[in-house]
Amino acid sequence: MFEAQIRQPLVEGNKSIADVSNDICRPIENKPTKLWWLGFTISFAFLLLMALSLGWTVWEGIGTWGVNKTVMWGWDITNFVFWVGIGHAGTLISAILLLFRQKWRMSINRSAEAMTIFAVLCAAQFPLFHMGRVWLGYWPLPLPNAFGSLWVNFNSPLLWDVFAISTYLSVSLLFWYLGLIPDIATVRDRAVSKAKKFWYGFFAMGWNGSARTWHRYEIVALILAGVSTPLVLSVHTIVSMDFATSVIPGWHTTIFPPYFVAGAIFSGFGMVLTLLIIVRKVLNLEQYITIGHLDAMTKVVMLTGSLVGVAYLTEFFIAAYSGVVYEQYAFLNRAFGPYWWAYWTMMSCNLLAPQVFWFKWARTTPWFIFILSIIVNIGMWFERFVIIVTSLHRDYLTSSWAMYTATLTEVAIFLGTMGLFFTCFFLFSKFLPVINMSEVKSIIKSRE
Amino acid sequence: MSNSENKYWRGIEELESSPTVLGNSSNEFSDKLPMEEILGDSEELSSNRRDFLKFFGFSVSAVALAACNKAPVKYAMPYINKPENVTPGQALYYATTCGVYNEGFPILAKVREGRPIKLDGNPKSALSQGSLSAAGQASILSLYDINRLPNPKIEGDEEEDWSVVDSKVSEILKSASGKSIYLVSRTVTSPITQESIDKFVAAHNAKHVVYDPISYSGIKAANQESFGMNVVPNYQFDKADVIVSFGADFLGTWISPTRFTADYTKNRVPSPEKPEMSKHIQIESLLSLTGTNADYRYTIPASKQGRYLVSLYNMLSGGSGDAELPGNALKQIASELKAANGKALVVCGSNNKEDQIIVNAINDLLGSYGSTIDLGSAMNISDYNEASFESFVADVSKGNAGAVVMMDANPVYSYHNGAKLELALQKTKVISTTMIVDESTRNAAVHAPDNHPLESWNVYQPMVGHYVTSQPVITKVFNTRSAVESLRAWSGETVKLGEDQASHKWVTDYISSTLGVNANQALHDGVIMKSVDSGNPSFAGSASSAAATIAANYKKSSGFELALYQKVGVLDGNSALNPWSHEMPDPVTKVTYDNYVTISRNDAESNDLEQGDFVKISAGGKVIEQLPVLIQPGQARGVIGIALGYGRNIPNALQNDLIDLGKNAYPMVQASTSGTNYLVQNATIEKVGSGYEFAQTQTHHMIEGRDYLREATLDEYKENNAVRNEHKHHAITLWSDYDYSKGHHWAMAIDMNACTGCGSCVVSCHIENNVPVVGRSEVRRRRDMHWLRIDRYYSFEVDADQTASVRVGPSNVDQEFKKGQFSTMENELAGLDKNSEEDQDFGHYDTVKVVHQPVMCQHCDHAPCETVCPVLATTHSSEGLNQMTYNRCIGTKYCGNNCPYKVRRFNWFRYNMNSKFDYHFNNELGRMVLNPDVTVRSRGVMEKCSFCVQNIQMAKLNAKIENRKLTDGDANTACAKACPSNAIVFGDRNDPDSRIAKMFKNDRSYKMLEEVGTDPSVLYLTKIRNRKEEVQHS
Repeated sequence: MFEAQIRQPLVEGNKSIADVSNDICRPIENKPTKLWWLGFTISFAFLLLMALSLGWTVWEGIGTWGVNKTVMWGWDITNFVFWVGIGHAGTLISAILLLFRQKWRMSINRSAEAMTIFAVLCAAQFPLFHMGRVWLGYWPLPLPNAFGSLWVNFNSPLLWDVFAISTYLSVSLLFWYLGLIPDIATVRDRAVSKAKKFWYGFFAMGWNGSARTWHRYEIVALILAGVSTPLVLSVHTIVSMDFATSVIPGWHTTIFPPYFVAGAIFSGFGMVLTLLIIVRKVLNLEQYITIGHLDAMTKVVMLTGSLVGVAYLTEFFIAAYSGVVYEQYAFLNRAFGPYWWAYWTMMSCNLLAPQVFWFKWARTTPWFIFILSIIVNIGMWFERFVIIVTSLHRDYLTSSWAMYTATLTEVAIFLGTMGLFFTCFFLFSKFLPVINMSEVKSIIKSRE
Repeated sequence: MSNSENKYWRGIEELESSPTVLGNSSNEFSDKLPMEEILGDSEELSSNRRDFLKFFGFSVSAVALAACNKAPVKYAMPYINKPENVTPGQALYYATTCGVYNEGFPILAKVREGRPIKLDGNPKSALSQGSLSAAGQASILSLYDINRLPNPKIEGDEEEDWSVVDSKVSEILKSASGKSIYLVSRTVTSPITQESIDKFVAAHNAKHVVYDPISYSGIKAANQESFGMNVVPNYQFDKADVIVSFGADFLGTWISPTRFTADYTKNRVPSPEKPEMSKHIQIESLLSLTGTNADYRYTIPASKQGRYLVSLYNMLSGGSGDAELPGNALKQIASELKAANGKALVVCGSNNKEDQIIVNAINDLLGSYGSTIDLGSAMNISDYNEASFESFVADVSKGNAGAVVMMDANPVYSYHNGAKLELALQKTKVISTTMIVDESTRNAAVHAPDNHPLESWNVYQPMVGHYVTSQPVITKVFNTRSAVESLRAWSGETVKLGEDQASHKWVTDYISSTLGVNANQALHDGVIMKSVDSGNPSFAGSASSAAATIAANYKKSSGFELALYQKVGVLDGNSALNPWSHEMPDPVTKVTYDNYVTISRNDAESNDLEQGDFVKISAGGKVIEQLPVLIQPGQARGVIGIALGYGRNIPNALQNDLIDLGKNAYPMVQASTSGTNYLVQNATIEKVGSGYEFAQTQTHHMIEGRDYLREATLDEYKENNAVRNEHKHHAITLWSDYDYSKGHHWAMAIDMNACTGCGSCVVSCHIENNVPVVGRSEVRRRRDMHWLRIDRYYSFEVDADQTASVRVGPSNVDQEFKKGQFSTMENELAGLDKNSEEDQDFGHYDTVKVVHQPVMCQHCDHAPCETVCPVLATTHSSEGLNQMTYNRCIGTKYCGNNCPYKVRRFNWFRYNMNSKFDYHFNNELGRMVLNPDVTVRSRGVMEKCSFCVQNIQMAKLNAKIENRKLTDGDANTACAKACPSNAIVFGDRNDPDSRIAKMFKNDRSYKMLEEVGTDPSVLYLTKIRNRKEEVQHS
């Protein structure tokens, strides 16, 4: 097939197929670097912090948090939505971009999917541990039980969450693992130690690289992509319904599902950018994860950021247009109330900051993108904080208006989930190929 | 094995091999097993062996699984001899008394399995009219106070034997010969106690001194001078059409607030039949609970009160006064009082004799005596006489006292020179009958602890002609003895020691012989009424000389005036160890736990003070080193207020927030032999620190122009009974409605016209429903657990041109979102723009209007909380109750977030048996007050108002047992029972004759946040103010 030479190659450095295997298997086969150890140790320390702070919460009670009779959700659900949002990029890249035959996705989908799974794991901590009685955390599952005719409430958006998140997690996990099989087989074939051979062999599930195997693989990947695609839209839609179906001004808005999905993709890509810019540098994979990739992803960030921005403005317009006192107050309070700083952080990080990606320099300068990606994630965290806390702290009856400040325990739990996330990611980068070798091998000669 | 050919047979039938026998031998049982009969007669149950194995297998595994769960072992102790009338699970009610405001407040004690768990007012008495104040409700906990003395004490050592105590006491009394012996008690309203005191006094030639922390001697002296009657008169607020109160907090703390509240509201609720209500004008310096309910309220410096009274008197008698309120209001008041045509009442909270003489003169001019004031059935309070007490102090200081018996009096704490008295008491031997160790009895030689009122027999006469009986409702918790008996024992009388039979006999004898009524009936009713001749007293005082004294004594205060007042929950400070009294937010400031310096907005500004700054107060030669400042709207300029009743210094066995609570302001009280004055001139304040955070249950005080609180003027109401409620929302619902028309449909109505905000309901609910006490820091974190709260909102009366800067009135949200306002609104009092000229004077803060709105779970028929619970822990009953299933709750808190009324409370911690919350839930004794019908919630579950479902169930069961229909009032909530103003009505709206059904037809009724579509079961009734001008509400 003819390809115009004017397009940038998808993989730089004129790699051969052997180069791909060598480059990508190198971190797995070599001893971990000092940098890896440093990163892993720090992450693991934070993971321990999470265990400690969650343990303290369970031991003492939710009272160790700053939540109160008016603001009953604070950092917990903010972090939950934040992490779920981050998880969105993985599926989007691997499923939707697969269906659209976007070949540039091939060198980034593996880590994006891994990120999805780890983010969902982090997210899952919050709905679980925000429960007053976490030891009964299995009760929202529709299990037959001996408590009498007790059943779950299918009207409750929290129950929808349970289904949405668990479906999402299982499909993502399956998809990710499926994609890993040929690469695990490659690692198995290259392995020298017996243990490695055994374990990679075990997880490669007898992959033999035959045409039939490849065919089946491709078909299942396509089916899973089809299954995942609606999930990209549904998960955050359902998460948004936690708020949209309530009666609280600032929550009770029909715009939430698309707005949340756009925000999730926005934050997801933000996080993918953060991670990949580190990975390509630390693991020396600049030739696989190219500037072209960064360029494409920043365009998505800019688009979704603007979508989210439009949603912010629409909310204001609708609040003014509705004539509902409470609604109007809720939005003015967001912008000019005591949490104004959170609102304006959100606005500037999510709506304004990504606009710099109109400029090619901004889209192609990794250090700059890195900073922007962090800003995007800060902005998206604040978006959830703004929605949850500023809506709750001043709702209908002014007598109940209250302020909410997070305690150290809550901060520690959040930092702890960061620890969980990065611990998982470091382990992933050590033990599994961070780039889909088999797919990349098919495009080393391709151009955009 | 032998290969035997022998054949054995069981019977001849078998040997002969008859076919039936052969057939039967294959069946193990000769008859068919009657399985169907055993398992029931249903036809489908034809179980076979396989089914049996299935059932068997299932049962075994189910039992095995169930057995895996280790159930806690609990011991139930059965009665060996069942006491008469006591049925476990059935409550008994006894008429008895509790000691708040005054000895002998008539109550009904609810007793379960031998322990009183709840107090309600005695409906047969005019004093309570079936209701009980917050402090009265809370007083039950003093019975189960772990700090009570379990045994008598001699020289600090516990002694179980009362005869040893008695001999020790007589030894002390003997050794005191030659010196005086004093008996100090609070005002005695009981003839039985008085007789014991008389006997003691006679036996030992002792002197009886009365000491009360709060003095009403000014009123008594004034009435002595005006009418020759040394009494506190019986004020009848229900009979007055115009009420003018000069600083008297008669709904909160003054004389007999529960009864006054009940009377007051009788004439405060207009109806279509009688669209009239009394007019209440309050002229005061601090914003009192009473002031918050006034139709018109004026702030004056308390020192000028006398001059205003004289002016009013002059105006009424045709002259003119030199002191006038803004807008010639006093003149207007005078003409209104006159127009009331004898149905007027002027009261004054001052303890100054001259002020009270003028008040008497005014009331005499108005013809109030015999109409709204009765001198005959006077209130038996405050026999405290400053002169005799001062001479007692002087005598003790000189070392002339051989022994002092402290009988529930605690002068060391509340006497203005308590430190001096404490030193003096060291020169003598103190014998105490107080239940706990307090400031006055810390060093007592003998502690002979009295019974709790709920453990005692007695008869009180709190009002002339109004006798109230007291009977024990529990076996004595500790080894205590009634002080009445102790005194007789010490007087040389032989009483059967340590047993209550003695006082029982005295009480029944008194009732049957002296009062001449059947003692059993009297004890059952709890109240004995005797007719009283009110006489026809005529005013004989000299208003002019009183006016002259007032004029002569008036000096403008240099610096601040310090007004010392009581708080509704804490009162004189007697309840220092009672967490309910302190966790109850103050009805006006909504502050829990603390006392503080209240100051007007303007003064705070000019003294550069902010809310939470610490100040040092010096007044009358006394200093309070450090108290936080609270900016109080509606407070007069130049006046600061400090609540009495704090700064107790008593040992507390519990480690909680009740230790070192606030500062004692009693030393500032201006007392002399001639009287006690709670106003101190020439006070100075000095900022010494900042940053105190009050534990307030409400921090935003404005309604923000929202529609959930509605008020109108009486004129508007007369024109249109449905004023403010014309617009009804028709919410569309997606759900198919449940049919509530059959059975009960419980509902509640709250009349904001009747509600005074006194907080009785809050404490009553707290007790009835085992609501935990969480302490000051948790309240600060906004985690108070009250199922029922009273929201208190301020609104400003403003000139038209000021509306722009102060947010009142219609809900045009876009009207005034001025920059800077929003960021500081959490503390509304600091929320105005300091750079704006209109705001600088803070004039609108002086004339603030207040509304109280009790809010509890609204039991919405379309409840937002119910749909969001993932595990169906909160559901709707067929009777319209929003139910909370604690056992099912996993604590997602989603319901709490989705509640528009924010009435759901979460158990953030384990509040019971947790030493971090060392209140009554944390000790065995304190837990005896728990209501056995209500679960104590575990950590991590949501809770909220249940409409006292336990009472509903009990009422239904009783009706079923009696084979009758429920009648209105059978099922009632704790809040409605406690309410002195009958502002809360609860009942079945499906019962067309019920009061609640009528409330649904009342044009004043509306549903809060109806537009949200929650369809609440609680109605609110528009507040009507008897005012002239338009109230600015949409």
